[in-house]
Amino acid sequence: MKTHKLFENGSHTWLMFGRDDEKPEQIIDTNQYIIITKNNALLMDPGGIELFSAMLSAVIKQVPADKVTHIFASHQDPDIISSLGLWDQALPSATLHSPWIWESFIRHFGMESITYAAIPDEGSSLKLDNVTLDYIPAHYLHSSGNFNVYDGEAKILMSGDIGAALEEVNAPIFVENFDEHIDKMKMFHQRWMPSNSAKNDWVQRVRKLDIDMMCPQHGRIFKGDDVKRFLDWFEALDVGIIANSG
Amino acid sequence: MSDPTTNYFVSVAEIAAKLDQATHIAQQLSLTASNARAVALRAGERAAGFRPLTDFIDRLAEITISSSKKINLLASTLSQTSADKVRADDAIGHFHSVYVKAKDSPYIHSLDEQLELCELAQQKLNTKYRKQIDQLKDELAMLSSELRNAVILATLSRVEASQAGDQYQEALINVADNVEGAAGQIKEHIKYSQQMVSTLEEY
Repeated sequence: MKTHKLFENGSHTWLMFGRDDEKPEQIIDTNQYIIITKNNALLMDPGGIELFSAMLSAVIKQVPADKVTHIFASHQDPDIISSLGLWDQALPSATLHSPWIWESFIRHFGMESITYAAIPDEGSSLKLDNVTLDYIPAHYLHSSGNFNVYDGEAKILMSGDIGAALEEVNAPIFVENFDEHIDKMKMFHQRWMPSNSAKNDWVQRVRKLDIDMMCPQHGRIFKGDDVKRFLDWFEALDVGIIANSG
Repeated sequence: MSDPTTNYFVSVAEIAAKLDQATHIAQQLSLTASNARAVALRAGERAAGFRPLTDFIDRLAEITISSSKKINLLASTLSQTSADKVRADDAIGHFHSVYVKAKDSPYIHSLDEQLELCELAQQKLNTKYRKQIDQLKDELAMLSSELRNAVILATLSRVEASQAGDQYQEALINVADNVEGAAGQIKEHIKYSQQMVSTLEEY
């Protein structure tokens, strides 16, 4: 599991964990993110059971366990949060922030000690020491209850499955050529995202945000102008179709 | 039968399923008792010796049902405990792996307290697991011993049936066969469960 620093200022740090060359071959490579403030940390989409020990090892190299006070799960999928039962043993005092509609489903992963903080459909905010983070609605992209995390100070949007690409484990961290990158993400967005209206609603919402980096849960991070390129491309894309279904 | 060396929690679930079947058979035994009482009543004086036996069949059915239910509940609880035990063992395995992977981390000892708590919880689960296995063994042995009476009851029933006259003899012999058959089937389930339980003691 590799660790990359994406942002750092006086108040907080963003790290990305991923490109795990030790993960079993059959499971999809995922990007995990953590925001570390003075006394707290928010671990985002911590991943599946298979990744747990690699993830906890990576986290513990950066912060003591009791500083990870918050966990965010953008939605209910196993590659996002099936490790919950194990985090529950490692971080029993933590709070899990996740869409309200998934609470009774996510608890199936095992949650005895961690507290569930249900995010309402319209989104909400989390204050982590002096840093304010916003949960931005991204419903139906792809899950029917789905959020992104926006950090206005760092200008980073953790976009979950939006912007995801299916890539090799040794792929670069950032998108280097947007046009070439389209092939790696087109099918994923058309097949996994079910609704054009939900997609366009999200694009309009996100265009209003000041974003330097858009960080998906799979594949590469979009930086600078590539964020706008992605929004333009995604807006024009017809989703909710099975491409090449014949 | 699953391999208990690797899947002991599956074995426990199998025991619970087997004993659930035993409860159903015990309920059939109860029906047999009601049926026996009705036949004995119709047979009148000629089945006078049979009537007290129906009370014994009834009692056997009652004991078997209540004991089967108790055993079934114990097996279900044990099944939950063993699943919890697997999860606790799994979490501790992951923690140990983190201690190797992140051994140079300055924060590695921030996990010590949680690992200690997990190991404590694991010990408690192990104690609970062993206690529940002992309870299950005791209850299985008790029911098995009660069911020995079924053979005697069936033999006595046949003797009394032979004196009930042609009209009722067949029905009463059928009652005796049912008692013996049901007891035999339940004993088979118990024997299987006892064998499975003995393999679980190693874990």
